Amino acid sequence: MLDYTFMQHALLISICIAILCPCIGIFLVLKRYSMIGDTLAHASLAGVTLGLFFGASPIVSAFIFTSVAGVSIEFLRQYFRKYTDLILAIVLSVSVGIAITLITSGVLHANASAYLFGSILTVSNVDLAVTAALSLAAVATFIIFYHQLIYLAYDETAARIAGVHVKTINYIFSILVAAAIAISIRSVGMLVISSLIALPVASALQLRKGFKATFIASVGYSFFAILSGLVISYYAGAAPGGITALVAAGALLVTMLFTHSRNR
Amino acid sequence: MITITDLNFSYTGKKPYLLSEINLNVPQGAYISIVGNNGCGKSTLLRLILKFMLPTHGSIRINASRIGYVPQKKDTDSAFPITVKEVIHSYGRILHLHSIDVRSILSVTGMESQAEELVGNLSGGQYQRMLIARALMGNPDLLILDEPSTGVDVSSQKEIYAVLHRLNTEQRLTILAVEHNLYAAARYSSMLYHIANGHGHLCTPQHYLDEYMTREGSFHA
Repeated sequence: MLDYTFMQHALLISICIAILCPCIGIFLVLKRYSMIGDTLAHASLAGVTLGLFFGASPIVSAFIFTSVAGVSIEFLRQYFRKYTDLILAIVLSVSVGIAITLITSGVLHANASAYLFGSILTVSNVDLAVTAALSLAAVATFIIFYHQLIYLAYDETAARIAGVHVKTINYIFSILVAAAIAISIRSVGMLVISSLIALPVASALQLRKGFKATFIASVGYSFFAILSGLVISYYAGAAPGGITALVAAGALLVTMLFTHSRNR
Repeated sequence: MITITDLNFSYTGKKPYLLSEINLNVPQGAYISIVGNNGCGKSTLLRLILKFMLPTHGSIRINASRIGYVPQKKDTDSAFPITVKEVIHSYGRILHLHSIDVRSILSVTGMESQAEELVGNLSGGQYQRMLIARALMGNPDLLILDEPSTGVDVSSQKEIYAVLHRLNTEQRLTILAVEHNLYAAARYSSMLYHIANGHGHLCTPQHYLDEYMTREGSFHA
């Protein structure tokens, strides 16, 4: 299987995704912002279509557009304090509007549907280089702001009093989420990115461990789901995104059954 | 340590003010409890002191190199997957402390044996003692607490107030607490700041007891 170059590329991208999605997923889930992942996944599709329209790298354009969307959500939060879900509806509407208009108008010279369901066949060397660069930058950002991010999710007031620049970190985190989604959209597809962000974390939370242990377990679940999805999709001839989502959901179910029987 | 001068505040920026002509001086080494009915503006005053909001008029000057803050348990996510040790360690990192001896930090409030526990497994009293230990990191010269005994059983309340009393009397730590526990406020504070109808006045615990304790022995703030 790994004799094929496209599978080697897919494996490398899968490793990047398996590490990145839990990095952002654990904070999104713990801040009860899981749906932001879904909204930004839709925004990334708009970014992809804009990239295809202008002849730019779809991953780069997805990253830029998703970053703008993420920062906009953070900014709009100040104006819709009591209706934060409304912000997601606004960003979702604009993003889906752009994507559908460009896809259905026939102005694109490439197939955008690969980004809906994910495709491992079309990963180019440029995509791979962009993915590796974004992944390294995102992981470095995660490591640098690790403790601040924990406190923004656990006790934002204490973080503020300790001198953490809450707004700045929130904006940085929005860009981190954008990077993870832009990287993932090629391989797993827009429709199942949110499952990769939420499900490995949901499984790890069932283990009832401390933060570091929960994060490491999330990465483990994420690796298992993505690599299983890749291998099974190769033999089944299906897009890996759907299988990855099913494996992640299956792992969550098994973990829930295991922890339930252990705690009885 | 804290000087509040002619402070007025309303959320709209116009009259009527929630807090009106508030003047309060918290000297170094004092233990002052802010008391009053629900909705009187106690927590608002705390948020103004912590600079989360700006006064409509007036000023707040704080002469402290570091402030330790103990929030209410409900303001933190007690279901968060984090151990006591991680709470302390990460806080030390965001405070940029050079050395973080978790057990020694926790021993101040007798929590060192719970270092490996998940915060969700702690009792209300243990959780509060962890938050106090955290607030004392970096040697603050001012400790601000928001209803420290809310959701804590009676025996744990005694432990918490014993810690606060010790910190105030032995280490001369200045303490400002928003209190709903009037017995504790009257017993442990050096002075009480009573807010009613937007106005506040400073009184001794004895004066407060005489003025607000009913014949039946219950408190009315």
